Amino acid sequence: MSVFLSSLGFGLISAAVLAIATVGFTMQFAVTNVLNLAYGSVMINSAFVTYFLNYHLHLNAWVAMIGGVLTGAFASYLLNRFVFTPFQRRNLPPITIVIVALGVDLVGTFGLQAIVGGSYFSYKQSLGRELHFWGMYLSTLQLIIIGICVVVMGLIHWLLKYTRLGKAMRATSANASLARNSGIRTQRVISSTWLISGALCGLAGTVFAMNTGVFEATSAQLYIVLLLAAMFLGGPGSAYGAMLGALTIGVATEVSAGYFNPEYKEVIAFVVLLGMLTFRPYGLFGSEKTI
Amino acid sequence: MSVELSTSGKVLRATSVSAGYDGRAIVHEIDVEATPGKVVSVVGPNGSGKSTLLKSLVGVVPVLAGAVTVGDTDITNLAPERIAMLGVGYVPQIDDVFPPLSVKENLEIGGYLLPRHDVASQIEAVLKFFPRLKTMMSRKAGKLSGGERKMLAMGRVLMLSPSVLVLDEPTANLAPLVATQLLEEYIRGFADHGSTVLLVEQRAKAALRISDWTCVLSGGRVVLSGAPRDLENNPLFVESFLGGGAARA
Repeated sequence: MSVFLSSLGFGLISAAVLAIATVGFTMQFAVTNVLNLAYGSVMINSAFVTYFLNYHLHLNAWVAMIGGVLTGAFASYLLNRFVFTPFQRRNLPPITIVIVALGVDLVGTFGLQAIVGGSYFSYKQSLGRELHFWGMYLSTLQLIIIGICVVVMGLIHWLLKYTRLGKAMRATSANASLARNSGIRTQRVISSTWLISGALCGLAGTVFAMNTGVFEATSAQLYIVLLLAAMFLGGPGSAYGAMLGALTIGVATEVSAGYFNPEYKEVIAFVVLLGMLTFRPYGLFGSEKTI
Repeated sequence: MSVELSTSGKVLRATSVSAGYDGRAIVHEIDVEATPGKVVSVVGPNGSGKSTLLKSLVGVVPVLAGAVTVGDTDITNLAPERIAMLGVGYVPQIDDVFPPLSVKENLEIGGYLLPRHDVASQIEAVLKFFPRLKTMMSRKAGKLSGGERKMLAMGRVLMLSPSVLVLDEPTANLAPLVATQLLEEYIRGFADHGSTVLLVEQRAKAALRISDWTCVLSGGRVVLSGAPRDLENNPLFVESFLGGGAARA
């Protein structure tokens, strides 16, 4: 029981990081039709910008995190503007965009590795007190990350349900052509989506690096498997599904790591992904791409 | 019918319009003019290019030659959102609502170009026109019946009080009674309130009943046009659309 509860604690913190990342990832897919497999490389590059601001410019890690968030936002915006959109305009099959994204991921990850080398890095940041409750061990830092996740999920809910931009994003996701006929400038909505989802990507990269403690240029390379599993579990393109999918995958992978070799965490996620694609390709909520 | 519909419709004019996909014209040298307070219908067999013509007028399909104007403004190949801003409301034949959004959210999206403080009052105005929608405001559009869905599609477009309404087969897949009500009560009503209505319709007889002018499209070209009464006396039209199996009341 104690193994289960302590793994559950790790699962909750993993789920929190994964939820922030997956919601951004699935929003990109829902509104822009791009399965951005370069998401992991933007995450880790953003984490390194935070590291630079924190370690070299001596900014508090939480303040430096703003740099990571902005990096994610603008890198994603620029990726769309100068890479994905030109390819989409050529009406190439969707698989082409996936291959392009994969190429960008490799360039982003190994380009970063060429700059920073193969060493491990960590933020100048205290983990805070370790708290023990309900059989779980969590540091203050981890509780803060869970808190950030809860606030971000609340903000995303508010954005999608109650703001003009959020409704326009959902309308564009559901039927871009009809959205345009309703007077929505969908290109602006898509650009805003890249900025917002990119900010989530940058935030996820930084809290991912904070949570792992030490990280390197290739640390997020397999993270795309977790992202895909969480996204397909909740239903591709569904922000609320992504939250549920992240919670399930985060807890499932960490609890399984408590009983089996932790090296197999991604394998568990991949098995879930294959299972979902086989039996419920539109996810647990059962609806086709809808934010 | 107290909805704040525009009473200042504008003339929608297509002059020698050829339009299609990938540089290949589906419709050729079409001349159509729809004026305020009138219903102009376009009828024709399946595949004659009716929907392509409408899509080209609202910016969804590129115009390859000719010109489209609304009032004095040239809207040829303008982006669909720009055309919507100029007061042209378009209801496509299919995919005419946002299924994952609620009825209320669909109407809000319809009023996207309105000042925020006007959206709620305009929704109230539209609901007076389609009171049935009032009881289903929180229901997702994807869960509506065919008739309810079409009312919502119309309501969404009415949110901007368009001066020109472009409707692509609004009665498709509707029960005959619902279709008749939609055409005779609502669509005719739009024109009677001063809007310009351009309508593509498969039910030729029903379309003629509410139209002031009708064009017949075949093979991407206008083969006949005239007042409904004249067309009803035209043997070619009667044989093709009213007398044989193609006719649908």
